[in-house]
Amino acid sequence: MRFLPHTDTDRHAMLERIGADNIRDLFSDIPSEFHLQAGSLNLPDALHEAGIMRKFTQAAEANRHAGNTRCFLGGGTYHHFIPAVVDYVISRGEFLTAYTPYQPEIAQGTLQTLFEFQTMIARLLGMEVANASMYDAATGVTEAALMARRITRRKKVLTTTSVNSRYRDVTRNYLSRLDGEFAEIVCAGFATDLDAVIAAMDNSTACVIVQYPDFYGSIYDLQPLRDACDASGALMVVAFSDATSFGLISPPGDFGADMVVGSGQALGIPMGFGGPHIGLFACRQKHVRQMPGRVCGMTEDRDGKRGFVLTLSTREQHIRREKATSNICSNQGLMCTANATYLSLMGDAGLATIARHSAAALATLIHDLPEGVETAKGPRLHETVLSFADQDTRERFLKLARDNNIFAGIPLEQFEPARTPRHLLVATTEMTEAADISDYLLALKEACHVC
Amino acid sequence: MSAEAIHDAKSYSGVSGMQHEEPLLFEHAHEQATSINLPGVHGEIPAELSPFMRASAAGIPGLSEGEAVRHFVRLSQWNHSIETGFYPLGSCTMKYNPRVNEQAVRLPGLAHLHPDQPEDTVQGALQLLYELQEWLGEISGLPHVTLQPAAGAHGELVGIMMIRAWHDMRGDIKRRTVLVPDSAHGTNPASAALAGMNTVELKSGDNGRIDLDVLKAHLNDEVAALMLTNPNTTGMFESDIAEICRLVHDAGGLVYGDGANLNALVGVARPGDMGIDCLHINVHKTFSTPHGGGGPGAGPVAVNDKLAAFLPLPCLEKDGDSIRIIHHNDHSIGNVFGSIGQTGVLLRAAAYIAAFGRQHLHRIAEDAVLNANYMLARLKDAYHVPFPGLCKHECLLTDEWQERHGVKTLDIAKRLIDLGFHPMTVYFPLIVHGAMLIEPTESESRATIDRFCNAMLEIAKACAAGDTELLHQAPLMPIRRRLDETLAARKPVLVWPG
Amino acid sequence: MTIPTDLKYTREHEWVRQEGDTATLGISDHAQEALGDIVFVELPEIGRVVAPGDAFAVVESVKAVSDIYAPVGGEIIEVNAELESTPEKVNTDPYGAGWIAKVKTSGGSVELLDEAEYTTFLEE
Repeated sequence: MRFLPHTDTDRHAMLERIGADNIRDLFSDIPSEFHLQAGSLNLPDALHEAGIMRKFTQAAEANRHAGNTRCFLGGGTYHHFIPAVVDYVISRGEFLTAYTPYQPEIAQGTLQTLFEFQTMIARLLGMEVANASMYDAATGVTEAALMARRITRRKKVLTTTSVNSRYRDVTRNYLSRLDGEFAEIVCAGFATDLDAVIAAMDNSTACVIVQYPDFYGSIYDLQPLRDACDASGALMVVAFSDATSFGLISPPGDFGADMVVGSGQALGIPMGFGGPHIGLFACRQKHVRQMPGRVCGMTEDRDGKRGFVLTLSTREQHIRREKATSNICSNQGLMCTANATYLSLMGDAGLATIARHSAAALATLIHDLPEGVETAKGPRLHETVLSFADQDTRERFLKLARDNNIFAGIPLEQFEPARTPRHLLVATTEMTEAADISDYLLALKEACHVC
Repeated sequence: MSAEAIHDAKSYSGVSGMQHEEPLLFEHAHEQATSINLPGVHGEIPAELSPFMRASAAGIPGLSEGEAVRHFVRLSQWNHSIETGFYPLGSCTMKYNPRVNEQAVRLPGLAHLHPDQPEDTVQGALQLLYELQEWLGEISGLPHVTLQPAAGAHGELVGIMMIRAWHDMRGDIKRRTVLVPDSAHGTNPASAALAGMNTVELKSGDNGRIDLDVLKAHLNDEVAALMLTNPNTTGMFESDIAEICRLVHDAGGLVYGDGANLNALVGVARPGDMGIDCLHINVHKTFSTPHGGGGPGAGPVAVNDKLAAFLPLPCLEKDGDSIRIIHHNDHSIGNVFGSIGQTGVLLRAAAYIAAFGRQHLHRIAEDAVLNANYMLARLKDAYHVPFPGLCKHECLLTDEWQERHGVKTLDIAKRLIDLGFHPMTVYFPLIVHGAMLIEPTESESRATIDRFCNAMLEIAKACAAGDTELLHQAPLMPIRRRLDETLAARKPVLVWPG
Repeated sequence: MTIPTDLKYTREHEWVRQEGDTATLGISDHAQEALGDIVFVELPEIGRVVAPGDAFAVVESVKAVSDIYAPVGGEIIEVNAELESTPEKVNTDPYGAGWIAKVKTSGGSVELLDEAEYTTFLEE
């Protein structure tokens, strides 16, 4: 077996040193009725390397993927351009196969990268500090709600349905096992009804969670929410799903958000059928001791040289156990490296360009929508909802588009089961080319019988 | 060479033996430049966006591609990794991460799938995932599996949520206590608390194992579950496992298994056969997915028939020849993650299991346990062994004999770095003073293990001879010496102020 | 290690200085030494009423966390805000500049030891 280095000679010599006759003697502390006969599990035959690649290639080729289709799918996961360097850096064994940096003298590579990551994420989101990642946006939002409850010692968490339903589902689910309320203000249309959210706040509200741009792509003024939070003492939590947006538009931190959480998948991580992605988590310096997850800090070594360590670890489970700020241990470490590499290649200018190109693509698409297809109104970057007269028209369009190698959008009911099945959530990115939009519109017109 | 001489040789700025200093990204001379060429539609953006534009740039430095590569390659060279050398961290299972797994998951037909694509366009990926579910069920002896949890601790939370749901469904709603041995990973009590449960700590017996009398004394009609790690964190198998499970079951509770130490059992024995009801599996440990400097991992949870109805959503179900993603189910504990799981991590685990297959899987545990016992045999006369006897995949030593010479576990660990080895896990488990937990894994050759043991013996000999200066100074060789953790925690600087 | 004679101590290693109906609270020299370098002190809210034995503050070192229990009951009337920026005062001057909080006592205390009893307790 190619991953096992011992020869039988090695094994015999080692057993002799131990004073055992055979390897199974080393398992004599396991009651014999539980011993399995070697090879008795119902598993397939072992595969050599070529066999593994054949198996996976066959599986991969049975799928249709964004590399050979035109992808207009969003909803929290986006097909952005990923420079080759990102995958090269995270493929380096020194980053890929290192453990959590608990021995900082021999993990400065991971640690300095984390420090750079935290700095860039905080800057991008307009916040003071960021941690070293959460699992994903949904669990990140949940952790923000829990953190707000700890800080305010209040128990009610308020949100609205223009926040990605998956973020809400996870948050609602976690909170349901703890004491306290989770209230969701319903947005009837495809934009955030901030007035309704603010009207629902009271002095028992620990935090208000909104999404910006919201799940339907809308951009709106967050200032009234900041003012309302100041008045009620609730914390302002802003979720997001595509971090490239903040290369162009003001980030939630500029509106005074207390916590900003969302997905870093757009920053150099492939869609990967749902993961691994990364949850970004940023907050104010004064709240860092209530923050969940690992965090890297700057310090000095014995010679006074600058160095980095994991710090504030008394918040964490390995020290505080049942009183920890979170149970998280493994995080998305390598994805921090991917984000940091990506950001260093893009810089401010590259990020702004990505957001511009993504927005220009959507603007082009919306501009030429045929009659019978409505788009959600209001300022937006690169995501929207298209509404059809009926489900039949939508299905006809989806099929036509697919036949033309286009994934045209996500039926909204996949996120919001209560919606009538005639809406599509549609996203563009800088990977959307002008020809893709023309083909998209052609299929739309055909489906609506207007061409 | 004296400590000072070694130190001096390293302390001048710049380069020593081509070991490069590297500034922060923010300190590179011409930040704000970027040379990246981007695709896309170069059109106008809507005028209504103008009130929302950033007032000033974020301050993300953009380097040329060559500079960025050099920056991160240099940083990478400051890391120790499995691919660089031995990494015997107890409880972490730092085994070799096969390269073919990396190649397989980067196939475009797997890497570039959107999670909300139509189901019929992702059947290849779903088949692989479904197969992995079946395999993990077979390996654990717990046939119903969710792949969704993103890490081991996340799996623990899911498991305890399911156990709570089982009690609640039976109307037994006062069961809110989870028993956790004092030797357990800190995630166990933290996860139980997050699931809304109270935790009660069980004091381990003098042999480092669960004390049946202590367990009995804590069992009552409020106990929902016992969380058990087996082999436990001292590296010893809980030989009373059948009795432990029987006691808990008789008292109306369930047994949660922390699968962090599954590498000791894989292919040799199955937790489900022993009476465990629910087990999370750290695929980044047992099934070789890379740790990535802290993650990502994945923590699938396997359960028996009692808990099957409560698995989280979405889950995978076979429907004829195809696999369907199920979003609704009456009894499920609901959603715990934003997607079906960390697919890329899970697929690597599938490739690993496929490589060993039916014929070889048991050899993982066999060689892992052989290596750990061999180390124990070589080191037990030089270091205090708190719980003598067979160990499983890791062995536990302490600094008791070295402390007499003023040398602590931390010094031994740091000295190992100078001798070319990543240290073992230190000061865990908490129940042993000065713990050193060593897990060699099955990946390491006898020659590597011998070299590590020789280094450990050399350290013990130096201590016994009172030759301890290098131990206190260590490490002297890496790019940085011991770092001031007190300074970092007192005045946290978490972002670059520049 | 110092154990001033004018203070009372608890078996959890807090000290209390009673002056009229005001009690000043802190942790003993022994406690600060056992914890190591203190990096953070979580101070109670002013106005909070604590019962004897309640955890009212938290002291953290790099790798340990310790709850601090109120030796006496009463209302928190003052906290040592200096510790927010210089927690190391608990290490350098545990009975002086490292005090944690002042309580307006309203009766009741845990079992308090005098200097001799505390010394004996530590020796055990």
